Amino acid sequence: MSAMEIVAPALVDVFVARYYHVTFMVLVAVGLYILIDSKNLVKKVIGLNIFQMSVFLFFITAAYQDGAGPALIEEGGGPYANPLPHVLILTAIVVGVSLTSLALALVVRVYEEYGTVHEDRVEEVMADE
Amino acid sequence: MTFALEIALVVFVVVSAVAVAFLRDVLGAIVVFASFTLGLAMIWVILQAPDVALTEAAVGAGVMSVLFLLTVARTTRTEGDEGYLRPVNFKALAIVFVLFVILLATVPALPEVGDPNAPAVQETVDGAQTPYGVADDNRTPYGYYIEQTPIDAGIRNAVAAVLVVYRGLDTFGEAVVVFSAIVGVLVVLRREEAR
Repeated sequence: MSAMEIVAPALVDVFVARYYHVTFMVLVAVGLYILIDSKNLVKKVIGLNIFQMSVFLFFITAAYQDGAGPALIEEGGGPYANPLPHVLILTAIVVGVSLTSLALALVVRVYEEYGTVHEDRVEEVMADE
Repeated sequence: MTFALEIALVVFVVVSAVAVAFLRDVLGAIVVFASFTLGLAMIWVILQAPDVALTEAAVGAGVMSVLFLLTVARTTRTEGDEGYLRPVNFKALAIVFVLFVILLATVPALPEVGDPNAPAVQETVDGAQTPYGVADDNRTPYGYYIEQTPIDAGIRNAVAAVLVVYRGLDTFGEAVVVFSAIVGVLVVLRREEAR
């Protein structure tokens, strides 16, 4: 039995037990891919949002423990999920929507000015002027 | 049973995100993104964060989709090229893969999902730090919020208590950001109408 055959299943268990963390990393990668690959400015904003929401998943996962209920305090109750990451993410969701609305307003302005929301064509129009 | 549901939701969310990446039609991408957000909201419910789930579903899936749809209504719908799906961009994929592998290397150092010994869910830790030095009763912020919420705020919901009482200044900062964003949107869009 080689060392690889012993280490590999143990490593798989490590990742399976942390499935939300791995999901967070996959979603970060997909969000970044959309940001780099998409030429359409609206889709870039969607990619930014996917990137951001994956970080929310990381925080909410950290707040959770097995058998926990939501943080509604009762006499002799518990365990509870940690309320602090929940509050941070509530704030982050609202801030994210504010940023998205500003970004989309800028996209609308770019369209009015250049007649396109395609990154390369905006540059073409700028070069022509 | 719950685990099967969790895995189904995780797969749904990842597939939606990948679909957004490869759909050429921006309107289609927005609809898929809204379902992605709803899938995440369901995961928040499973992870016992109902307040976050409600906000995510109402603000994330609701308001955000309306903003995107309004933008598409005022601009164009397609990316202007032929075909239903975008081709794979291998350069971007390589960069993203490097980031993914670096992130994966940190996974073994993280606590397992639901681990009751995870640092974030300890009520007391020896030598727990506060902004004023070591806490005399070793209580972490988590332990403090859980114990003090009914006493300090007089309510049962610790999330609401932290949001408005303990971290009210953060919430004020959030309101400032929202206000600035609204002013920014008005400035950016009004200029054109004034001409």
